[in-house]
Order: sequence, then structure tokens, then C-alpha cells
Amino acid sequence: MIRIDNLGYQYEGSNGRVLQGISMEIAPGKYVAVIGPNGSGKTTFVRHLNGLLTPTDGEVWVEGMNTRDAASVPKIRQRVGMVFQNPDNQIVGMSVEEDVAFGPGNLRLPPLEIRRRVEEALSAVGLEDRSSRSPHTLSNGEKQRLAIAGVLAMKPQYIVLDEPTTYLDRSAKDRIMEVIARLNKQGMTIVHVSHDMDEVARADEIIVLHEGRVTLEGSPSKVFAHAERLRGLGVAIPRITEMMWCLKQAGLDVRTDVFSLEDACRELAGLMKSEKG
Amino acid sequence: MHMGEYIPGDSPVHRLDPRVKIGSTLTLSVLILQGGALSGGVISAFLMALVPLSDLGLKSIARAFRPVLIFFVLLFVVHLLFTDGHPIPPFPPWRVTVTYEGLFRGAATTWQFALLILSASILTMTTQPMDLVSGIERLLRPFERIGVPSHDLAMMVSIALRFVPTFFEEINRMRVARMARGANFKSGSVARRTRAAVSLLPSLILQTVSRANDLVTAMEARGYRRGPRTYMKELSMTRSDYVALMVIMAIVCFHAVCH
Repeated sequence: MIRIDNLGYQYEGSNGRVLQGISMEIAPGKYVAVIGPNGSGKTTFVRHLNGLLTPTDGEVWVEGMNTRDAASVPKIRQRVGMVFQNPDNQIVGMSVEEDVAFGPGNLRLPPLEIRRRVEEALSAVGLEDRSSRSPHTLSNGEKQRLAIAGVLAMKPQYIVLDEPTTYLDRSAKDRIMEVIARLNKQGMTIVHVSHDMDEVARADEIIVLHEGRVTLEGSPSKVFAHAERLRGLGVAIPRITEMMWCLKQAGLDVRTDVFSLEDACRELAGLMKSEKG
Repeated sequence: MHMGEYIPGDSPVHRLDPRVKIGSTLTLSVLILQGGALSGGVISAFLMALVPLSDLGLKSIARAFRPVLIFFVLLFVVHLLFTDGHPIPPFPPWRVTVTYEGLFRGAATTWQFALLILSASILTMTTQPMDLVSGIERLLRPFERIGVPSHDLAMMVSIALRFVPTFFEEINRMRVARMARGANFKSGSVARRTRAAVSLLPSLILQTVSRANDLVTAMEARGYRRGPRTYMKELSMTRSDYVALMVIMAIVCFHAVCH
């Protein structure tokens, strides 16, 4: 459980609070999406989850450990892994397997254990046949999968992904989302910061940040029902959902709490069958 | 292919422990610089025997020497002309002239230089950069207790090496982007082309600083701390490594006895 208690944050030398009064719990196994317009504090917020930033106000507790406690930070960083936006700027190793071994090496694990974890992590993301390649020969999608493997090798319980698909093309995006979905199904808690509403539609819970505060939170059905309000905040809703709203306004009797292509298909097919019959 | 760049292979020399190769290269370099015709001959024979043993073709060796050819010529000519001694006819007996001693000195010094280049090239051509870093780290590790940060140094070097190809790509991307906007890197005076190339520097530096910042954050997120860490592959000595060490020891003894 990650517990956030009245979190506020102000950068050194800056004037106002970037985050204010954020309180929530992130339960194990959940898929939490964090969305909001640019500058709303999403990145600043998630950096508190592994102690990269410590709160100006309030507290952040990870499995009972306080992120202000310097002695707990190494353990917190093992529990909460983080994947960043730029694929290149997370890779330190001179080969794929060396990079995945970086995390376990920091944990001072014995060489045999490191080798075992590297192999596990690489097959979890589908990079096992790239293990001796140099990073610069990988595509951006492969580099992001490498970044995820590097985090997996530390056996975390939570993975935070800060806009991981920004630099990726469509098929690479889908590949990453597949990996994330599979990890979540296996019990990994996911915190996913995203600008892409289609990506976050499958989350268990969506947190909408605006000017450093939580404006809206809840299940996708609940959050995306406030389409107008979201648009006003500068946040979109999933395209599929927009389409359903359009159809509803055009007079069709369809549900609008539809967030994926499959659900839309089912809903429309059901509608057409009932019209026929 | 750059000078002394690693050439993949599976020769006996490739398979030697990098510590042995680094230590041997350093030791031989000291012996070469100390000079002496007899040990110089033995070292020359040894290094030349290593070339086929490393599966390195003559072409690769030649490529390693190409950039320094001009220094060879310069070195030789300087010694040839500026060494005092008996002038070789028909050259006049001036202060600066071609002498027998100069010929000898020039040849000897150039040969020493060539041996240094050869031994260093064999090292870098049979050892992957990653293994070179591991070797240096392992060699420096005992000095960790007197304050030499071997693990940190190794990390710094390997990160720098890892980004070299990335920097090449980045520079190329910037160059092409500017060319698309009308900049000229290909034709024009040397001065103009230099200015065009130098103009890439500020962007590259800024981008590198930003990149370094991101990288540090990512490293901290994965639990990086200064000081000792463990590695997936630890170097270990095999019988061939000890054999190689003994050969080097033998050469050292021979050198000591001769001089």
C-alpha cells in the first residue's frame, strides 16, 4: 500500500506550490492512471512515490516506510520501480544484459542471482534474443522494454511509468501497453502517467490532476462521464468514448461508458441486432 | 573502422583475462621504453608472434598504424638530422645533417614507438571496451580501501563509452536538420566548414547536460549509490592466463638480466 497524506510540494527557489493537498491510497495490484494537462504536476507527483522527491508538506508512506527516512529509501526504491519518458536516458549498460544487471548490482546481489534475474526480466519483456546487443542498436520501443526489464530485475511490487510511450510509434506503444497489462494481471501495481486517453481507459482508477490538486478521481466510467469538465481542464477523453457520445447526441440509444474498441463493437452490434429484431 | 578498434574473435588472446592483457601491455611498454637491443628483439619477436595468435590480419594492423604514420616519419627525420656524429657522405658536416648515429637513433626510436603502438593495438583489438573497463575496475579494486573509487570510475567510463555511438547519431541528426534548413557542412573554405561544425557544439552540450540529468535520476531510481556493487560477470583467471603471465615474467627477467 502506498499512502499519500496531504502532499504538498514546492521547488527550491520557486514561488508557489506545485502540488497541494493530495491524499490518496494506492492499493496493491491496482492499475492507477494519472492524467492532467501539461504543468499540472503529474511528473512531480509520481517522483514522490519512490522518494526521488520528498514532500514539502505532508507525508508519503510506501509499505509503512516514510520517504523522508533516508535509511528506508533504498528499500523503497526496490519496491517502487520507475520507467521514464526518454528511452535513451535511462540506459547505462554497454549491452542489454549489462543494463538489466545494473539494478540487481546496486542491490549487491550475488552474480548467479543477478544472471537469473536478468534472464527472467528479459523474457518477461520479450528481449531474450537481444541480450548481448548494444543499446544504440535497439529501436525506441525495444529501449523502453529494456527500461522495464531493468526495473523488473529488482523485483518491485509497484511500477511507475511516466509517459513511457511518448517517443514510440503506434505498434511500439501497443507492445508496451501489452507488457503493462500482463504485469498488472500478474499482480504488479501500476501507476501510469499518460496523455493518451486510450491507454488509460483500462485502468482501475483514474486520477485527474489540475494545477497541483486532484480535481477528479474514480473509475474510468465515473471520470470520463464528465467529458465537458475534462475538456475544460484541457484533458481529452478516449476517442471511442467521444464517438459514443456523438452517436448518443445523434439520437442513438447507446451507453457512453464505453472505453475500448471491443466494448464499442459489442455495444453497437447489440444495438443493431435489437433494431433488426 | 577506427584505429585499434575491437575486432570480434575467439582467439587464445581474445579469451585471456583483460587484467592479464592490460598488465602485460603496461609492463611491456615500460620495458620497451627502457630500451636495449637484445630485449627489444625478444619483445619484437613476442609481439609479432601474438599477431597471428590473435587472429589479427596484417590489414588490421596496418589500419592501426595509419593515423600515426606521419609521426613515425617526423620522429625518424628529427633524429636523423639532429643527432651529433659522423656525417654520411655526400651530406655536408654541418650542425644539422644526416649522420650514421642519427640513422641508427632514428631507426631505433621509431622501432620503439612502433612496438608501443603494436602492443596497445593488440590489447584494444582483442578486448571489448566493456571487458577493458571490468579489467581496470578489478585491478583498481584493492586500492578502494585507500580511497581510489574503482567502482565509481568504472561506472563513469562505461557510461561514457555507452553513449559514444548515441552521440554520433545525435550529431548526425543535428547536422542533417541544419542542412535541411540551408546550412552548409560540405563545401566552402576550411574556415567556413569548421565554423559550421563548431556551431553544433552548444546544442550538443545543452542536450548532453539535460541527458545527464535524466540519467542520474534514472540511476537513482534503480538504487544506484556510490561505492561497491556486484556484477553479473566476475572475472576469473584460467590456466592460459597464468601461462601468459609466466611468459611475461620470463621476458621481464630476461630484460633485467641483459641490462
